[in-house]
Amino acid sequence: MVPVELGTERIGKLLKQYAAPAIVAMTATSLYNMVDSIFIGQGVGPMAISGLAVTFPLMNISTAFGTLVGVGAATLISMLLGQKDYKIANRVLGNVVMMNVVIGLVVGALSIIFMNPILRFFGASDNTISYAREYMMVIMYGNIITHLYHGLNGVVRSSGRPKLAMYATLLAVILNAILDPLFIFVFDMGIMGAAVATVLAQVVGLAWVVKVLCDKNHVLHFSKEIWKFDWKIAKRSLSIGMAPFLMNVASCFVVIFINNQLKRYGGDLAIGAYGIANRIAFLFIMLNMGFTQGMQPIAGFNYGAKQYDRVKKVFRLTALCAVCTMTVGFIVAMTCPKAAVSLFTHDAELKDISANALRIMLSMFPLVGYQIVVTNLCQCIGYANKAIFLSLSRQLLFLIPFLIVFPLFLDINGVWWSMPASDFISTVVAFFMIRSILNKLGKDE
Amino acid sequence: MSNILITIGRQIGSGGLEIASKVAEKLGIELYDKNLLNLTAKGSGLSADVLEKKDEKPVPANRFAKFLGLRGSNYTDPQFYSAGSVLSEDELFKIQSSVIEQLADEASGVFVGRCADYILRGRDGLLTFFLTADMPDRVARIASKRGITEEEAEKFIQIEERKRKEYYGYYTFKEWGDSSSYDICLNTSRIGVDAAADLIISLYHQIYG
Repeated sequence: MVPVELGTERIGKLLKQYAAPAIVAMTATSLYNMVDSIFIGQGVGPMAISGLAVTFPLMNISTAFGTLVGVGAATLISMLLGQKDYKIANRVLGNVVMMNVVIGLVVGALSIIFMNPILRFFGASDNTISYAREYMMVIMYGNIITHLYHGLNGVVRSSGRPKLAMYATLLAVILNAILDPLFIFVFDMGIMGAAVATVLAQVVGLAWVVKVLCDKNHVLHFSKEIWKFDWKIAKRSLSIGMAPFLMNVASCFVVIFINNQLKRYGGDLAIGAYGIANRIAFLFIMLNMGFTQGMQPIAGFNYGAKQYDRVKKVFRLTALCAVCTMTVGFIVAMTCPKAAVSLFTHDAELKDISANALRIMLSMFPLVGYQIVVTNLCQCIGYANKAIFLSLSRQLLFLIPFLIVFPLFLDINGVWWSMPASDFISTVVAFFMIRSILNKLGKDE
Repeated sequence: MSNILITIGRQIGSGGLEIASKVAEKLGIELYDKNLLNLTAKGSGLSADVLEKKDEKPVPANRFAKFLGLRGSNYTDPQFYSAGSVLSEDELFKIQSSVIEQLADEASGVFVGRCADYILRGRDGLLTFFLTADMPDRVARIASKRGITEEEAEKFIQIEERKRKEYYGYYTFKEWGDSSSYDICLNTSRIGVDAAADLIISLYHQIYG
């Protein structure tokens, strides 16, 4: 049942209540991503950082396939448990495992077989490919583990045990942070050490999740009867997961394109710099996502209850929080970009390039905060197509042409500037779009 | 004694609503049809207009969104799907389900459509029906009810029924209109509306005494 307080309680209090857990989860995720980069940058060197940055799209594609199964299955299970349809819910669980194993195997095997051409296509050079390959081979041998861990963790979360799912995440994050320096510095395994640490941390995370799902006291648990492949379940979960999958794949191709432009105009170090700046940007974007996730139920409910003034109020408040958060990132990038990037590298040249990249990339950040909130608002009040358009506009539609044209005049700086330029234009579009939506609220009936 | 719970699934134009209201009237119990929307609205604080737009329809309506499988979940932040917005179809189905369960707890009733047979499955005192009728009868009934031509009526039936079928299949994992999904299936063209209502009541009494 929808908590009716969504329609009555003070907006500020509601936002705090709904956003806080999301923000914690988001921070954990982005820290997880940062840790590998930091240890590799500090322990292995600047070319390794570039090699790592080249692999991001491949990891994203693997994640995309994970969400293709995971999102749908989690949605279905939460639905079925709500209906107390335990038999089918457990069948979905069995099918999640089977689909993850199959897809994980296929994606992993194809990546391993075609590793070199893939990495070349993603922007690897003679200098960076050995690092990228060394790292990615280990990650892809562990691909099934990664898929199962994320997939089943989502299942645990949607089965009404978000805390247990969070413990698994934290366990993997902390373990990775401990194992990374151990393998890189103590065992002297180089970039491969970081990959081994990542996979091992996920093995432990997976073991925890499997243990949770073996608990016979909960209605959802492993048993002999659930291992029957069911086309209907597969089709249903895949169709739910298709949208996030395609968005992931799209964003991955954008990163490939960016990497290739960077390589062409700025060489390997530029790719490494992008990897570093991106990690920092990502942290703030994730915080922002935490706020928007908190906003969604509040805006959605009040829109459904036709309390449009409350919709506008929660939108304004969330936008304010988002813009403030992103402004912190903006200030860091403008005042002390060197200090921020020195977390990832001590190579003077890479530091210079990264600091320059960070300053340019984050120059429109306060606007990005607003743009993301608008996109999410459109989505949760039912303007699905507009939400997709806005999301694509910033990360694809405006970005790609800029990425092609700007470097012709500005060289490598053109690649960096295409990002804030796209941020700016897509924010203007978002501003006018949401203004017309909000003005129309309640007037068309 | 447990509450009398009768659910009636129906092909469009099979006279399902008419029969259901006769059954409810003769047994002196509540009829839940479109009014479920108002009850859901009251129970959840959401507006009835918003609910009506999504009533018994498999959303997303447009082809693009359907291809993407958009159901109001968090698709713009792919890595971090949330439980979905309150307005998502799945969320509304959950709300309506809990309203239907609550109504069934409180009193006897005849429930028309809205997957009630699935939502209430396994309860004492439940009997599930599915009503069909021959196509010409259905077309004639819809044409006169909505004041449209027979061709329009036929088209209307096809379009609306596909939505109903998808909606039911999506939420119940069963086949809409398939005899194995229900306790009893009746063709109202054979037996007529009044006889169907009487038959439902007498079957109910035979089974539950």
